[in-house]
Amino acid sequence: MSDTALDVLYDLRRRRKRHRLGDIEWFDAAYRVYLVALFGGGTVLWISSAIGDETVSANAVADVARNGPALIGMVTMLALLAGMRSGAQGGPLALEAPDVTYVMLSPVDRMRALLRPVTQRVRSAASLGAVFGAIVGQLAGRRLPGAPVAWAASGTAFGIATALLWAGAALIAHAIRLPLWMATSLGLAGLAWQSAALAWHLPGPANQFGSLAMWGWRQHPIDLAAALIAAIVLLVGVGMLQQTSLDALARRSSLVAQLRFAVTMQDLRTVILLRRQLNQEQTRARPWLRVPRWISHPIPRRGIASVARFPATRLVRMTAFAAMAGVLQAMVMRGTTPALIGTAFMLFILGLEAMEPLSQEVDQPDRTDSLPIERGELLVRHLLAPAVALIPFAVVAAASAVVVLGTSRAIAPAAILALPTVLAGAAGGVVSIVRDAPDPTKNTQQTFVPPEMAGMSSALRVGLPILVSAIAASTILLVRHAERSGTSTTGAALRGAVAASLLILLVSYWVRRRDQWRRKFRQFMSDGQAYTKQQRSTS
Amino acid sequence: MTELSTRQLTKSYGDRPALEPLTLTIESGAKVALVGHNGSGKTTLMKMSAGLLEATGGSVQIGRHDAGTQEARRLLSWLSDMPTFYDDLSLWEHLEFVARLHGVTEWENRAEELLEQIGLTPRRDDIPTTFSRGLRQKAAITLAFVRPFKLMLVDEPFVGLDEPGKQALLRLFDAASSNGATLLIATHELSFVKQVGRLLALRDGELIYDGAPSDTDVHALVLPT
Repeated sequence: MSDTALDVLYDLRRRRKRHRLGDIEWFDAAYRVYLVALFGGGTVLWISSAIGDETVSANAVADVARNGPALIGMVTMLALLAGMRSGAQGGPLALEAPDVTYVMLSPVDRMRALLRPVTQRVRSAASLGAVFGAIVGQLAGRRLPGAPVAWAASGTAFGIATALLWAGAALIAHAIRLPLWMATSLGLAGLAWQSAALAWHLPGPANQFGSLAMWGWRQHPIDLAAALIAAIVLLVGVGMLQQTSLDALARRSSLVAQLRFAVTMQDLRTVILLRRQLNQEQTRARPWLRVPRWISHPIPRRGIASVARFPATRLVRMTAFAAMAGVLQAMVMRGTTPALIGTAFMLFILGLEAMEPLSQEVDQPDRTDSLPIERGELLVRHLLAPAVALIPFAVVAAASAVVVLGTSRAIAPAAILALPTVLAGAAGGVVSIVRDAPDPTKNTQQTFVPPEMAGMSSALRVGLPILVSAIAASTILLVRHAERSGTSTTGAALRGAVAASLLILLVSYWVRRRDQWRRKFRQFMSDGQAYTKQQRSTS
Repeated sequence: MTELSTRQLTKSYGDRPALEPLTLTIESGAKVALVGHNGSGKTTLMKMSAGLLEATGGSVQIGRHDAGTQEARRLLSWLSDMPTFYDDLSLWEHLEFVARLHGVTEWENRAEELLEQIGLTPRRDDIPTTFSRGLRQKAAITLAFVRPFKLMLVDEPFVGLDEPGKQALLRLFDAASSNGATLLIATHELSFVKQVGRLLALRDGELIYDGAPSDTDVHALVLPT
């Protein structure tokens, strides 16, 4: 009977595929692909031009040869850590809820029924790894010995091998029900070993993976072992599919459906929220600290209560984002301008994470509208508690930048610039949260938006918040320019801090006035429409 | 013959126990009601029996097979209180798919009969995700009954159903029972309890009553501590 059941399952999948293909708006899909290609390709070209084509010095080449495999191997170990944690939390698979109810509870061979979702998951992870590997590879090929094409190919191989390792580790961790603490401990132990390999030139667990990424330059046949290991780990994981937990699949199914919808709608705030739920991240039942009695105003009290319940995992994650932002800013100081994009993303996500009180308020529009306070006023007051909470993360960012730059001359500029930059960068997150909020000023009547405008609106929806964070991050360029021209870096940092502060004020003012401006704009448009209608009827 | 048996079955979420060690057997052909206050462990027990939830300790068997195994899944039909559907298949296609997955080749007559009984014939070509709460429940009922089963686990079947829907469901229960199927029905509908031969009551994850419904005050059983 099981073979028959599988035939039925395959038949169902074919039929659903036909339905889905029939429902696709091909013009819309093609337009989205066009936008992604345009902006994605443009970004890669900009990064490529910013990196430059001049080859690095002989010393730097020797340094890359010595440290490259261990350093790149860190990425693999991070992927391994992420994979094991994903598996321990019920990942990496996510089925639709009815698939859990009807397929997984039917007498079908579960392993064979799950093969397609696994293939899809592995395929998407490998594609992502391949694309990132190829982009980074070709960038490396511009400065290092070896052809860019060869570097792109080896980067692709590295990306795919790392993605397979991630997927395999996740499947195994899931099947053996690896406890989360153990997955984290094992992953961190691997990461520590790899770090030791980097620091003291020991054999690292992922050195072969890193060395595989450098095949564009020189080839060591032993590096193929990395690809073999990744494939074996994946095959072992697939072989354990029978042990897949329905409990986890059922829990993830509804969240993943919402996540896909949020991604489709470019609703980044919801994506972050759902990812937290997917990872079973709960706010603390007992807050880290009680709201001080002397703070009597309800809005800051509510904000502090929210921030004080951040779970330890989120605080660790936010610390990592802040530290990474500091490292990337240090790279910008050293001349790698495209690292600004990374800083912008780090600060943007840090903002989304920190602005929980604002997000919660935005998520409850009915309650917000019932309060005797204007919405803009309410939202802007909700920025205060998260802004205070971001101060320690600004310290982390400054400290990591100073450590990477390795000079005491960096301390003063970092101390001056860190907080305004972190806050202004987080303002990108504020823009995203407020823009994605349900709009109480909008009437229920839908307005027709032509595809060209819809595409532009989509690009703005995602791009504008990141742009705000990028402007905040780019204040470091003032300091770099001052250093290169021999003028005061402290003065430049002060100017940067003022610019970042102005950006913060601008975003706060926008949050405060946005509803009023939108109401006025709508009124203006509707007056115009009424006037046009009147003119037509009289003529 | 025993259709469902649990042995020292437990479930806890972190430090919070959801089901205390539970050992019970339900014989073939029995019609059993499961009652208890909200959070008493009814759904937890049902889901563990269906293989949807992993036990913290102990075991569940469906017939002679461990819950969740291929053989157990063949015997057991699960009717959830939170029905889910594909958003790109009609109700008729759902019926076809579920029936065929369980090896039923001549499914059309049975499907038509069920739709007629539950009052969904005019909606058979509609997408069930667009249905109201009550209609979704009715659609889920047809899907639970279109396939063969020895044991049916039902969680809050009457929620959202109108009176004709309730009556149709009761008739389907009776028909299944007279065909020898075992029914375990978790419900807050205390008037239904009189219609079963055996009553189980859970309170805070603990079995506090197992016997005939006529021998106890059912209302007292569903009060939380």
